[in-house]
Amino acid sequence: MSIHKFGTDIIALLYALVKAVQVYDLNNDVVQTAAKKIVYSLKTLLNIYSSVQLVRYMDYVFFNKQRLRFEIDGYASLQFIHDKLKTLGIKSLSFLPGIDKEEMIIFASIFKKKKEEFTNGYSSSGFKRILVEFSTEEDEVPDFLREGERIKRTYFKALKVTRNLMQNLWMNQPIDVKSSRRIIYNLIDSLTQDEFGLLTLTAIKNLDDYTYNHSLNVGILSLALGQRIGLSKKSLAKLGSAGILHDIGKVALPKELIYKSERLTNEEWELLKKHSDYGIKEIVKARGLDETGLISMTIAYQHHWNYNGSGYPIHNKNESPILFSRIVRICDSYDAMTTPRMYQVVPYLPHFALRVMWKLRNVWFDPLLTKVFIQLLGLYPIGSCLELNNGEIALVIRQNQGYSEQPIVKIILDKDEKKVDGKVIDLSMNSGIKVIKPIYAQKYGVNPATYFM
Amino acid sequence: MESGPRYIIQSLAKAVKVIQMYHINHPSARNFYNPLYEKITIYLKDHPVIEYQIDQFIISNRGKAVYKEDEKETSIAFRLFRNGIRNISFISGLSFHELIKFLKIISKISKDEDIALELWEGDFEHINFYVVEEEDEVIDYKVPDFTKMDIDYDAKLREIIARENIDLSIPIKPNLAPDELQTLKNQIAEAEQTSGIPLAITTLISYLNTEKVHEIIDILKELLELCIDNRNFYDAIRIVNKLSEYPDINPVAKFETEPIIIGFKDVINTTHQETFNEFMNFISFFSKKSIPYLVRLMTFAKLKKRLQDLRKAVAYVAQDDPTTLAILLQDQDIDVLVNTIAILGFIKSNETITLLEPLMNHHNAAIRTEIIIVLTELDKAVRIARYLDDDEEIVRIKALQSLTRLKYTVIYYDLLNRIKSKTFRNLDFAEQREYFNCLVANGGHEVITQLRKMLFKWVFFRRKRYSVMRKLSAMALADIGTGHVLDMLRRGAKRRNKSISSACEMALRKK
Ligand SMILES: [Fe+2]
Ligand SMILES: [Fe+2]
Repeated sequence: MSIHKFGTDIIALLYALVKAVQVYDLNNDVVQTAAKKIVYSLKTLLNIYSSVQLVRYMDYVFFNKQRLRFEIDGYASLQFIHDKLKTLGIKSLSFLPGIDKEEMIIFASIFKKKKEEFTNGYSSSGFKRILVEFSTEEDEVPDFLREGERIKRTYFKALKVTRNLMQNLWMNQPIDVKSSRRIIYNLIDSLTQDEFGLLTLTAIKNLDDYTYNHSLNVGILSLALGQRIGLSKKSLAKLGSAGILHDIGKVALPKELIYKSERLTNEEWELLKKHSDYGIKEIVKARGLDETGLISMTIAYQHHWNYNGSGYPIHNKNESPILFSRIVRICDSYDAMTTPRMYQVVPYLPHFALRVMWKLRNVWFDPLLTKVFIQLLGLYPIGSCLELNNGEIALVIRQNQGYSEQPIVKIILDKDEKKVDGKVIDLSMNSGIKVIKPIYAQKYGVNPATYFM
Repeated sequence: MESGPRYIIQSLAKAVKVIQMYHINHPSARNFYNPLYEKITIYLKDHPVIEYQIDQFIISNRGKAVYKEDEKETSIAFRLFRNGIRNISFISGLSFHELIKFLKIISKISKDEDIALELWEGDFEHINFYVVEEEDEVIDYKVPDFTKMDIDYDAKLREIIARENIDLSIPIKPNLAPDELQTLKNQIAEAEQTSGIPLAITTLISYLNTEKVHEIIDILKELLELCIDNRNFYDAIRIVNKLSEYPDINPVAKFETEPIIIGFKDVINTTHQETFNEFMNFISFFSKKSIPYLVRLMTFAKLKKRLQDLRKAVAYVAQDDPTTLAILLQDQDIDVLVNTIAILGFIKSNETITLLEPLMNHHNAAIRTEIIIVLTELDKAVRIARYLDDDEEIVRIKALQSLTRLKYTVIYYDLLNRIKSKTFRNLDFAEQREYFNCLVANGGHEVITQLRKMLFKWVFFRRKRYSVMRKLSAMALADIGTGHVLDMLRRGAKRRNKSISSACEMALRKK
C-alpha cells in the first residue's frame, strides 16, 4: 500500500463515520463499528508514523505530506472531507498515538456541525489525541508545497530535452534516448506531487518555441488526464512519451513550412497533414521498437483521427482510435487552440476552447474523456483572466475540485483597471463575487506568466 | 529486533556486496538474499511498510540512522543518493521476484548505470521510491517576452464566438453518470492491457493500405523478426500476409535457412498447442528451398500427431510436386528418408512410385514400412502384396493391414492358400490374426463357409496344434458378427469337442 492509498482509506473511513453520526445515535452499532474501523486503521498507521496528519491547503488535501489526488471515482469522500475542513476553517487535523474509539466518536459528532459550534465544541471537549489547527487569514504555503522551484526545473529540463530531441532529428544528429526516457518519469513524479504545478506551466505559452512547447504541453496534459482517469504508472510513461512525440513527424517536413507565418495554401496544408504518417519513422529513429516506441507510433498516426471516424490520415471508419490516441487528440486540440501561432497571434481563450470542445464532443472528441478533461482543468483553467461582477479583474491561480465554475483567483486589476497586488479569493466560498466573463489579459497589458514564475 | 529495519537494510547491503562479487544466481548470493527475503516478509506481516530515507552516506528509518558507510565505492547509501534516490519503501505483499529484480538493479557496478531510471522502468508494485533530479545542470528559464500589441481584443473575442457559434448560456456539466464511469473504466482496463507489437502492426498495415512506403515495410520486417524471436507466430502471419501482397517482397526468405529452421525445435515440442498450430500456418508461407531443413527439423518431433502435421505442412510447401523431395531420397539418414517418404504419401502423384522405386527393397524395415503406407495412400495393392513375403514380420503385418484397408479381393484365394499351408503355423499369432482380418475384409460371403469349415473341422487324434486355427476362425467369425454367425458360434460353444467349444466361447467373450 502506498501512502496515497492509506490516505484515501482514512478519508473514506472518516467520511463513513461522520455520515453515521449524522444519522444515528452515538451508541448505535453503525457508529460504533465505523469508529472501530477508523481507529484500527489509525493505530496501524501510527505504528509506522509518529502521527497521522491531514492538511488542507486551497483545494489540496495532504495526508502525511502526500497530496491526495482526486480521481474519477471515489472522490465523493475526499470532496466531502475537503469541503468540511474548508468550511470549518481547519488547516490541519492530527491523530496521535493512543487514539481511541470514544474520542473519535465525540470528534465526529462535533465535526458534523457548523463552524461556530465546532470551534466551541472543540475547545471545550479537551481532545488529547486529536489536534486541530485552525486556518488564519494568511496561511503560509505548507513546506512540502514549496516544490515550485523543482517543478519549474523539471518543466524546463523537459522542454530542453524535447527541443534537443526534435532538433537532432531535424539535423540527423544522434539522439539521447536515455534523457528522454528519464524525463518522463520526472514529469510523472512532479505530477503525482502537484498536478497543477505543471499544468500552470503549460499555460505559459512561448511564441518563439511553439513546436517544442506544444509537444511538451501535450505530453503533460495527456499525463494529467491519464492520471486523473487512474492509469498505471507504466501506462502513463508510454502515454506521456507518446504525447511529447505526437507531432514528431513534423521534423520530416521543411522548416519553412513549419515556421511559415502566413496562412497555408491548400498544397501546403496537405503536406503538413503528412506529419501524422511521417511520425512513425521518426519515432523509430527517436525511440526504437520498444513498447513505448511501438505505442507512440500508433498514437502519432492516429492523433488527428476523430471520434466519429473522420480525420486524417484517411482510414476505415470502423477503425477507431485507441484510448491513448483519443486522450492526445483532446490535449493536442486544446493546446493548439489556446496557443498563439505565427498566423494566429490571438489564440482562443481556454474557456472558449473548452466550449468548442464541449460542442464537438461525440464528433471530434471522446465525450467521456472531454468531461474528465473539463473536470481536470475547470471551466476557467489556470491562467484565465476573468471579469468579476464587482468590476475587478482577476487571474485564475487554482482550480477548485468539484466546482469547475468557481476557481480560486487573485485580483490583478481594481475597478479602475489599475494594476494591484490584490487578494486571493476562493469563488466557491464567496457567494457575493461571481464571474461575468473571461477576457484577454493582454487587453490590459498583463502578462499572466509573470504571476506564475 | 533481529528482523527490524536496521537488520533488513544491513542484510540488504551485504547481499548487494555478494551479488557484485559473484552473480545473482551464485549459491553464495542466494545464501544472502533468501534469508533477507524471509526477514522482510516477517517484518511486513505486522507492518504495512518499511520506509528508508537516503542520505549521502546514511540510511535512516523513522528518523534513526540504521546504516552508515562512508566508503563511496561500497556504500549503498551513496550509490542510491548519487542516483537521486532519496527514499525507498518496501510494501507488504513484496514478492521474491520483485526483491531479486530490485537487488539486480541496485547491484549494477558500471558508472553509467542509471539506477533511478531502471527502478522506474522496473515498475515495482511493492517498492516505492522518490527521486530528485541532480541539480548540477544549469537550466535557465525566464518569463517569455511580452509586448503589448495593438489589437482590439474585444473584437477578436466576438469574432471567435461568432465563428465557432458559441452559445455562452449553454451549461457545461462535466460530471460522469454512473454508466459513463463504468464504460470509461472498461476502456481503461482494456488500454492497460494494450501490447505494442500487435497494435503497431495494425497501424503499419493500415498505413500501407493507403500507400506503399518502403520505410514502413522495413519496420514491419523488423517487427516480423521480433515476432519470430518471441515465437509469436500469430502476429508474424499478419505481417507476412500483408507483405505477401507485394510481388517484389518475400517476407519469409530470411527465415529459410538451416540454423533458423532447426532453431524451431522448441516450437514443435511446445506445450502450447496454439503456438504450434500458428507455426504450421507460418511455415505454409515457406518456399521449396526450406524443405530439406524442415525435414531435418521433423526428426526432433516428439509427438506423432505433431510429426504428421509437419509432414502435411511440408507436402503443402512442396506444392504437390514430388520432385523437390527427390534429392532427400538419397540421404543416408534413416529418419530423413522415412519422413521424406511419408511426405510423398501426402502428395498424391504418379511420379511418386517412380521416385520410390529404388527404395522398395531398402534394407531398413522402417523404410519399407513407410513405403507401404505411401502405397496404401496411392491405392497400389499389387505392390503391397509383394511385401507378404518380406523377411520382417513388422513389414508383413503392415502389408496385411494395408490390404485389409484397401479391400483387394483378388488376393482372397492367395490368402486362403497361405493360411492353409503348413508354414502358416510357424507365424506369430499377431500375424496370423492379421491374415484372418485380411481374409474377412477381402472375402465376400464365401468366407463364412471357409471359416466355419476351419472351425468345425474334424481332426484325428485331437491334434493340439489345430486349436489355434479354430481360435483364429472363431475370432474372425465373431468379427463378422451377424446374427446368423453368432448363432453358429453359440452352438459351437456347446459342442463336446473341447477345442471347438473353448474357441467359440473365447470368441464370444471377446465380442
Ligand atoms: Fe498534429
Ligand atoms: Fe499537435
